[in-house]
Amino acid sequence: MSKPLLQVTDLQFAWPGQPTLLDIPAFSLQAGERLFLKGPSGSGKTTLLGLLGGVHQPQRGEINLLGQSLGQLSALRRDRFRADHTGYLFQQFNLLPYLSVLDNVTLPCRFSSLRRERALRQQPDLNTAAGHLLRELGLSDITLQQRSANALSIGQQQRVAAARALIGSPELVIADEPTSALDADSRDAFLKLLFDECAQMGSSLLFVSHDTSLATRFDRALSLAELNRASQPETF
Amino acid sequence: MYLLRLAIQSLANRRFSALLTVIAIALSVTLLLAVERVRTEARSSFASTVSGTDLIVGARSGSVQLLLYSVFRIGNATNNIRWDSFQQISQQPQVKWAIPLSLGDSHRGFRVLGTSQAYFDHYQFGRDRSLSFSQGQPFADLYDAVLGADVARELGYQLGTEMVLAHGAGAVSFVNHADKPFKVVGILAKTGTPVDRTIHVSLHGIEALHVDWQQGMPARGAGQISAEQARELDLTPHAITAFMLGLNRRIDTFALQRQINEFSGEPLLAILPGVALQELWSLLSVAEKALLLVSVFVVLTGLVGMLTAILSGLNERRREMAVLRSVGARPLHIFSLLLLEAVSLTLAGIALGLGLLYAGIAVTAPWLEQQYGLFMPLSWPTRSELTLLACIVAASVLMGCIPAWRAYRQALLDGLSIRL
Repeated sequence: MSKPLLQVTDLQFAWPGQPTLLDIPAFSLQAGERLFLKGPSGSGKTTLLGLLGGVHQPQRGEINLLGQSLGQLSALRRDRFRADHTGYLFQQFNLLPYLSVLDNVTLPCRFSSLRRERALRQQPDLNTAAGHLLRELGLSDITLQQRSANALSIGQQQRVAAARALIGSPELVIADEPTSALDADSRDAFLKLLFDECAQMGSSLLFVSHDTSLATRFDRALSLAELNRASQPETF
Repeated sequence: MYLLRLAIQSLANRRFSALLTVIAIALSVTLLLAVERVRTEARSSFASTVSGTDLIVGARSGSVQLLLYSVFRIGNATNNIRWDSFQQISQQPQVKWAIPLSLGDSHRGFRVLGTSQAYFDHYQFGRDRSLSFSQGQPFADLYDAVLGADVARELGYQLGTEMVLAHGAGAVSFVNHADKPFKVVGILAKTGTPVDRTIHVSLHGIEALHVDWQQGMPARGAGQISAEQARELDLTPHAITAFMLGLNRRIDTFALQRQINEFSGEPLLAILPGVALQELWSLLSVAEKALLLVSVFVVLTGLVGMLTAILSGLNERRREMAVLRSVGARPLHIFSLLLLEAVSLTLAGIALGLGLLYAGIAVTAPWLEQQYGLFMPLSWPTRSELTLLACIVAASVLMGCIPAWRAYRQALLDGLSIRL
């Protein structure tokens, strides 16, 4: 009977001057759940993730995260809410090239005092917290941690991005094709590390990808095309 | 605070274009401050072309005209002053010293000034600096001459050189005092004032040149008096052009000025040199203001260059902004980041500009003082300079708002990931 972490009801969204892109009657994610959402490019998944992050506002319906309706918050508070409770992980070029690996990982704690507080609950300072996470994700080399982020391989960069999404234990981690630039072996290793860390932090994982071969490793798998009434092929 | 660090690290990542922008701003700041310094210094140095003199007296005309011919040796007096008027006024109890000035002759374009020993004793310029000799001594003989520094340098004259003075002030004269040549006995040290371009002789020397003249023409034949014969004559001058007065007590200046202006013997005009110099400067200050205006526009050009550099980089940095948004930065943070970038570039430019200015002053100060009498100390920025710098920073804040606003709008549209 526990309330879901994320609940979407009757959501409708269209970009100005365009037909309805998303029409999702219901969608939810339980606390601690790992959900695979199948979404090919152009299916509106990036827009959906923007809506879940409160960056865009739906024309209709409600998005409820942690019992808080995003639509009831001001733009400023939505931004703050997102920074506090959601970690993001994207396909590629996730990192700021001019910051060191450690500085990249600690970035969310600079913009969210809640995540900073949580990160400091177990560790004396932010760099130690970031170093700990990086070690868990297989980047234990201290010199590598101090290096500039663009000196890393793509596989390493994605692990740094994962550490950044996880620092300060956000309740929700949203991953958008984080493995598409990785080869099969590193993809599997990456997924395992990501699962382990999410479990340790107690974060739910919403994983969006077009690669259905990964779906079986998740608690649950959904297809955005099935969720979204607007995407059903028109029949004449 | 963290945003400032981000802004600086982001700039460091684009260090080449950032450095060029900083250099452009720095050069424009250096130019502006240098113009401001030279302007201020030129004004104060102009104001102290003559100092320590309480009153300048001449025949009644305009105060600027009197100043021009008595101090700057430009133009001519409309009338002379009778010798006995000079005697009468200089013997007033308030008067400490008096320097008679007699103009009208020249030598190869340089004005000849007839005066007395009092000139070397009391004439002051700049910050109460007295005249000093680089070679020789004041005139003693009737046909002795003392040269200003520029005269000696430009004509290549040395002690002992003989020179023929010409009647009138032109560079080429048809009436020469060839019968009575003068000998150089002293050369003055550089002052940076019109003294440098003056040839000084005694009043008696001037008198001797013209002793045989009648109705403004040299005598012919038997009427001529030779240089040696002139020594035997009474050479007390009949008239002088102007004179300078130093008073015992400065407080008497206005009373004596009124007394001279109401002098019953002949129409005279007494002026306060400081006031007249200010009046003259206000005529010249148009050029000075134009120069300042030009350098203000150069600074604006530097800032517009910075604006261009930031704006043209914005599109390539959309991903950077999206990453920042995804880690929790609000659009206002993006705005501040861009603004901080503009202000950091400007502050770095100002710092480098000040560095260049002081390095420039340190290198050129001795030369400026020697050549132009401009005294440029390595002093802290003055209040007006700080005001100018504050205006530059304010302008950079205003200009920085343009890219900041565009990045803000873009960040709102792009959201967390950009669709390229």
